Amino acid sequence: MIGRRREFVGPIEAVDGGWQVNLDVEERNLLVRLMGELRALLTGPGDNELLTRLFPQAYTDDEEKEAEYQRLMREELVASRLEAIERVETAIAPERTRLLDEEETLAFMQSLNAVRLVLGTMLGISDDDPEGDLEGDDGSSGDSPEHHLYDFLSWLLEWTVRSLSPA
Amino acid sequence: MREPSTCRRWAIPAVDGNQVFDTRCRRGTLGGVPTTLEPTEVIDPDLSDDVSVDRPWIVIVWNDPVNLMSYVTFVFQKLFGYSLEKATALMLDVHEKGRAVVASGGREEAEMHVFRLHEHSLWATMEQES
Repeated sequence: MIGRRREFVGPIEAVDGGWQVNLDVEERNLLVRLMGELRALLTGPGDNELLTRLFPQAYTDDEEKEAEYQRLMREELVASRLEAIERVETAIAPERTRLLDEEETLAFMQSLNAVRLVLGTMLGISDDDPEGDLEGDDGSSGDSPEHHLYDFLSWLLEWTVRSLSPA
Repeated sequence: MREPSTCRRWAIPAVDGNQVFDTRCRRGTLGGVPTTLEPTEVIDPDLSDDVSVDRPWIVIVWNDPVNLMSYVTFVFQKLFGYSLEKATALMLDVHEKGRAVVASGGREEAEMHVFRLHEHSLWATMEQES
């Protein structure tokens, strides 16, 4: 049909051969910057309260086992997160033209969520507001730049999960 | 003096699932069957330990205000191979009841599940089934 616009497919979509990211340069740069901030947080002091949700307790009823778990696993968890960040930085760089593979898309999903958790902690989000629907979400009901960023990341994450989910 | 040939090592399960060995010597045998024990060397097995070794560990995911419902469902599918229906039901349990048991098994297995859930930033803990 003449003049018919292509259907909006979202900021990330599964296509033949991988995943296509439909974000502009400004959005890509923002995400790369956020990945850098997440890395700085992960490699900084371990007792930073903003990290609380990224390193939950495994044993809540056994201090000894919990200490052992943290001793053995925390470092591994940091390494895994840093690896994902690195993958995302390459995958969403403005100059990137190649499609994302599944590993990169999964790393993108995990890292987006990690940034959301840090932001959620920063914003003190405590109401159960898990919808994050694609039509817009008033749940976090804040008007600060951080709230807008949180909503943007929620929207992006929702689309990423959708693109990874089997049809 | 050499230990009598009936001296044996007896495996006793320990709390952590390993085995410790009790080197009690059996003094006096009848056709290979011990007839007496040194009273001071008797160690009564702790039955409560035996029970705790057998109890499986459960992995619990707790509700939190940040993780998206679709994300949690997807992670359950990806990590545990659950169907969309099962993963959705578990996610709704987390959301509505505050928690859901998503897996169970031996301690190491449960710990690996918890680690992978933590990698995905889900609030997961583990405990022994009561």
